Amino acid sequence: MEESGSRLEVGGSRVGVGADGALTANPSSALNLQSSLESSHSSAWLAWCYLVWFCFLRQARARQMVWIALALLTLITTVVGLVTLAGRVGMEEWRWTWVGGNQPLRINPQEKAGPPVREPPIPPHYVRLSYAETAQGMQVLPHAIPMPSSAAALQDAVAGATRIALARSRFYLFSNWVVFSVFVGFLLPIWSLSFATEALGGEREGRSLVWLLTRPLPRASIYLAKFFALLPWSLALNLGGFALICAVGGWQGHLAFRLYWPAVLGGTIAFCALFHLMGACFRRAAVIALVYSFFLETILGSMPGYMKRISIGFYTRCLMFDAAAGYGVQPEKPSIYLPVSAATAWSILFIAAAGLLVVGMIVFARTQYQDLS
Amino acid sequence: MPDLLEPADPRGRDRALNAPSLQPEPALAPFVVVDQADEPPLLLFDHVTKWYGPVIGVNQITLELRPGITGLVGSNGAGKSTLMRLATGQLRPDLGSVQVLGHDAWQFEAKRHVGYSPDVDNFYEDMSGRQFVETMARLCGFSRLEARRRTEETLQLVGMAQQASRRLRGYSKGMRQRIKVAQALVHDPEVLILDEPLSGIDPVGRMEFLALFRLLAERGKCLLVSSHELEELEKLTDHVAVMAEARIAAVGTLAQIRDLLDDHPLSILIGSDHPRQMAGALLAMPDVLGVDLGEQDSIVVRARNPRRFFPELAGLVLEENYDVHRLETLDDSAHAILGYLLGGRRVEKRG
Repeated sequence: MEESGSRLEVGGSRVGVGADGALTANPSSALNLQSSLESSHSSAWLAWCYLVWFCFLRQARARQMVWIALALLTLITTVVGLVTLAGRVGMEEWRWTWVGGNQPLRINPQEKAGPPVREPPIPPHYVRLSYAETAQGMQVLPHAIPMPSSAAALQDAVAGATRIALARSRFYLFSNWVVFSVFVGFLLPIWSLSFATEALGGEREGRSLVWLLTRPLPRASIYLAKFFALLPWSLALNLGGFALICAVGGWQGHLAFRLYWPAVLGGTIAFCALFHLMGACFRRAAVIALVYSFFLETILGSMPGYMKRISIGFYTRCLMFDAAAGYGVQPEKPSIYLPVSAATAWSILFIAAAGLLVVGMIVFARTQYQDLS
Repeated sequence: MPDLLEPADPRGRDRALNAPSLQPEPALAPFVVVDQADEPPLLLFDHVTKWYGPVIGVNQITLELRPGITGLVGSNGAGKSTLMRLATGQLRPDLGSVQVLGHDAWQFEAKRHVGYSPDVDNFYEDMSGRQFVETMARLCGFSRLEARRRTEETLQLVGMAQQASRRLRGYSKGMRQRIKVAQALVHDPEVLILDEPLSGIDPVGRMEFLALFRLLAERGKCLLVSSHELEELEKLTDHVAVMAEARIAAVGTLAQIRDLLDDHPLSILIGSDHPRQMAGALLAMPDVLGVDLGEQDSIVVRARNPRRFFPELAGLVLEENYDVHRLETLDDSAHAILGYLLGGRRVEKRG
């Protein structure tokens, strides 16, 4: 842009400044500049596809909640890795203490009519055996003490069953504590909301949503594009994080990932649909989603009876119970937990995700965001 | 020559104006290229009312905009931004309708025809100006090559071709304004809604922008430009809509509005310790049509030509050392217009 005498150049067009300060323009210059702008056609489909790609790239800039998610991943992975390295995953190393010989009573045979005589106290001795040692002891007992063959066989059978139960306890405990309690109950919703609430919430907080809402795109399609853009990130974080935790969890972790990843996939999609809707409804969606995750999911997911059936975590767990049924993994009290079948859980997760998505599209299409400017 | 600003129907206009209705002058600015008075308006506000909960944003506004430049002036909270957000489909009217080339402004079809430069200064700050404008072009549905071509052309048009590779977070206010205008132009819309586009622009930049807006108007675009600074709008267009308290208080050429004020008697409440002496002195002033003694040491003056009356009143008060403890215009429309036409700021109500 240059100024020379009484002429200015705006872009490529010459604009004169008259003696009275009035601006005069050369229309032909403007015509040249803008004639080409009118010549091409635009495509709504192309715009929407680009919006998905654009939003996908913007999701990479989700900051705060993603850092929290990554910190949690590091913490949990470290703890699981250390426990696995220490060999404390299964029940084999669990110990029980047997206390023996504390002030026994003895009847004096010569003075049967008299009161029992209390012998001087014997100092208590503690026997601390691990479950594995106990099982081993049960197995060697028939060989150490002469006993009838039928009794020895029974002892052998009990010992063998105990060893098998102990071996399976690794997977059971990994599933119960790491997967069901920590991952499904805590990490899965937190990780899902880190991207899902940021998709619209970040735009609203940054007041940049106005740029999207003034483009020639249906509002519902903007909401849908945002969802498709956030989903790969959430799936990558949830499935990748789950894989990492399982990878450091030993063979039981590997088995857990092989069995449970479809449930993680279904749960992630449903959670993302829910938290994305929260982003459309609330200005501070991350806070609302955190409250929901910590309280409603946890409380509802733990309630007996049918109340828990409105929590997404319940259906995710049901999918996992179904996948690991062959390994003896089931709710602690199935009669109280009342799990549903895998088909039912899949159906409900799918319907919930689709329903939440449609509701979100309607809400977003109708909402007037008065905080844009 | 067409009417740039013409209420959709006279009844609606009369409702919006407490002052008598105005007829635009037959000779308008030279950048209006064709007479399109018989054609449908590019942007139409038809009895539009918008509420924010209990607060009214705009009240029964009826306005037709055709090719050319329309200035929109008003104080903060007068309803300018609400009107613009209604036109760009960010808000939906509670009553009435807003239409862009026959499309409901809320629908996406209308947004093809609207370019919007908002007053907010929030971008995707990590992008360069060029990336931002190109992204906005891609989001309008243009192919990559086409978007790039349009981006370069609009950047050149707003004078940002050389600096557009820098990141937006490093831009000055004026450069950001230019980028906002560039993205509004990139899809070549028929209607341009520019909210405070001259804010933060240096004097040379203002002249360039004014020239650009006139060029766009010459090409048949409809521009609605809001500003706090009437002087800047006067350089750009002779046609303004004055907004006050959620209504269009006046619409037409500046000359017409000023004539209206001059001709329209204005009622002013003055509180003074010496109302009778002051009433006598006021009656001697040429623009005072009458004085009524009110309650509690107050008088109500009916005066015309407020641009001349108020300075004379100030001189009288200083000269005679009257103690004036209250000064209030009793006509809301005139009160609002005065704020802009007399010194460019709002006349504060007291009492």
